Amino acid sequence: MRLPLFLPIVCVLLLIRTTCLADTVIEGHVTLPKSHAAPVMNKRYEIVTKNGVVATDPPRAVVYLEGKFSKPANLPVQQMAQKNLAFVTPLLAVQAGTKVEFPNLDDTFHNIFSYSPAKRFDLGRYRSDERPIPSQVFDVAGLVTLHCDIHEHMRGLILVLDTPHFTTSDTEGHYRLTGLPAGHYTLKAWVDSKTTKEQPVDLKSGGTLHLDFP
Amino acid sequence: MKIARTFLYLLLAATVEARAQSIIEQLDNALTFSAFDGSCRVRLSGLVDLEAYHLEQPAPALIDTDRHALFNPRLSLFLDAQFGSHVYAFAQSRVDRGFDPSDSGGRMRLDEYAVRVTPWDDGRFNVQAGKFSTVVGNWAPRHDSWENPFINAPLPYENPTGVWDSMVPEETYDLLQWSHVNATDKPQDVYADKYLRNPIIWGPSYATGMSVFGALGKFDYAAEIKNSALSSRPEAWNITDVGFSHPTYSGRLGWRPDEMWKFGISASVGPYLMPSAASTVPPGHGFGDYREILLGQDIRFAWHHFQLWAEFFEVRFDIPGIAHADTFSYYIEGRYQITPQFFAALRWNQQLFGSIRNDDNELQRWGRDAARIDIALGYRFTEYTQLKLQYSLLREDPAQNRYNNLFAVQFTLRF
Ligand SMILES: [Cu+2]
Repeated sequence: MRLPLFLPIVCVLLLIRTTCLADTVIEGHVTLPKSHAAPVMNKRYEIVTKNGVVATDPPRAVVYLEGKFSKPANLPVQQMAQKNLAFVTPLLAVQAGTKVEFPNLDDTFHNIFSYSPAKRFDLGRYRSDERPIPSQVFDVAGLVTLHCDIHEHMRGLILVLDTPHFTTSDTEGHYRLTGLPAGHYTLKAWVDSKTTKEQPVDLKSGGTLHLDFP
Repeated sequence: MKIARTFLYLLLAATVEARAQSIIEQLDNALTFSAFDGSCRVRLSGLVDLEAYHLEQPAPALIDTDRHALFNPRLSLFLDAQFGSHVYAFAQSRVDRGFDPSDSGGRMRLDEYAVRVTPWDDGRFNVQAGKFSTVVGNWAPRHDSWENPFINAPLPYENPTGVWDSMVPEETYDLLQWSHVNATDKPQDVYADKYLRNPIIWGPSYATGMSVFGALGKFDYAAEIKNSALSSRPEAWNITDVGFSHPTYSGRLGWRPDEMWKFGISASVGPYLMPSAASTVPPGHGFGDYREILLGQDIRFAWHHFQLWAEFFEVRFDIPGIAHADTFSYYIEGRYQITPQFFAALRWNQQLFGSIRNDDNELQRWGRDAARIDIALGYRFTEYTQLKLQYSLLREDPAQNRYNNLFAVQFTLRF
């Protein structure tokens, strides 16, 4: 007589499990601005090797879900390396509270600094063998513009967000946000320092929503 | 007036307003031009300097005014152009009251222009032609108002000696007069002929010519042939004014044992007289006999928030029939970044003069030994705006007023 009673419980448990596993997803496309011309290096008083050709990363967007989310105790450490006199990842999105390391992969000094209100710092001059790797914790949400005191043309951006749900688009503008909670939120697409687009979203558990930011 | 007011507003706004900030960023993008699928790129940038001096007479160094206060605004425009990966060109044009701080009217000059060819990717060899700063020493690469922690140049680059480039001294007495080694010389006497005197290196020395340079592992090298000597005045740097008949040869060898330390040795030799001095050259001598010979040593150290520079110069001016006029000048400079935006800098400078036989056959120093301490504080409001305050105390010996105080303030907008 125990079996008939047990069956419905197993069924309910199985149902709960599948709903939990069914991922809530938003995907779509963000219209990106035109690529900027590659920077022209100021080599007036210096012997700069690599012929001054600086690789430029095409623009990307950061898409994130805005809402009240709890902060995890431990956020993974991120890196923003410098190689060939440029940032390897010129745009990095992180959750507030994340520690970002700035390894120097060149054989010359770099001196990364920021005067952005969200985070002011100056790492000073450091080499590739600097240990511990120079780092900063980004506590306050906002856009942080990175510069190098030695290489005027170097530019990097860290977008500090108050949400764990964010992604960086590919260079075509396609994005896919997974593992989202159900509920009513605002979905934002950061395009550049002057443009952030937004749309309200109603997320249903296990559903896939398609949303474009024209 | 309206333009001045708008300009002032823009400057103020740039320091406080985030909006003005983004205007400068946009301007940066707007001033970068690209053609032929990005293989030809040109960037226009600049520095606006508003600087003011409170000084004592005689005005120290190359400052040209007989007053106690001087406002010296300056606009520097830079052009950097990259054609493919092997050709680079640059130019600098300035609008100011004179190459060195002065109370004269506004003027515009083309201070630098050059084309550089870099055949190999690793930078082992570059060849450059045009009008550009000297390869000697380690100050020229950091002389602009944004990079320089001070408002003025180190003493060797601006302390006038008794050597004139417009005239040859007829006897030793003339040279000693021009050097003002007589302690009873009044400040106005010292000021009167100041612009005729030459320092051992005139600022960044943007003379015209050609250079080759490159880096090979831990070593770098540079050699140049220029139309005028390191001590020559800005008017002598133009090929149109002075020609190329009496060139100066200079070179520098650098060694970088690791990124923290950089050492260099420099040498330069070349005639220092201007063409206008020709009629004063005594018979039996030529321009080539009036040479400036310079040996230099430089050190740079950098680690985290501290940077240190030092340069030492041993210089001889050949004055046939009168003397080998020798002088030694050096400075040691430190800069410390106290907070991300606030820095302090300290510099100790000295110039010592050798002795020559005067007309009474006695040994006498041919210049006033000078010692100067420079203290500067700087604050960067943003990546584009900087304020510097400087105090300098100069002691000269012999001199009627032994001490000379200088206060300077400089606001810079970079775009
Ligand atoms: Cu750098």
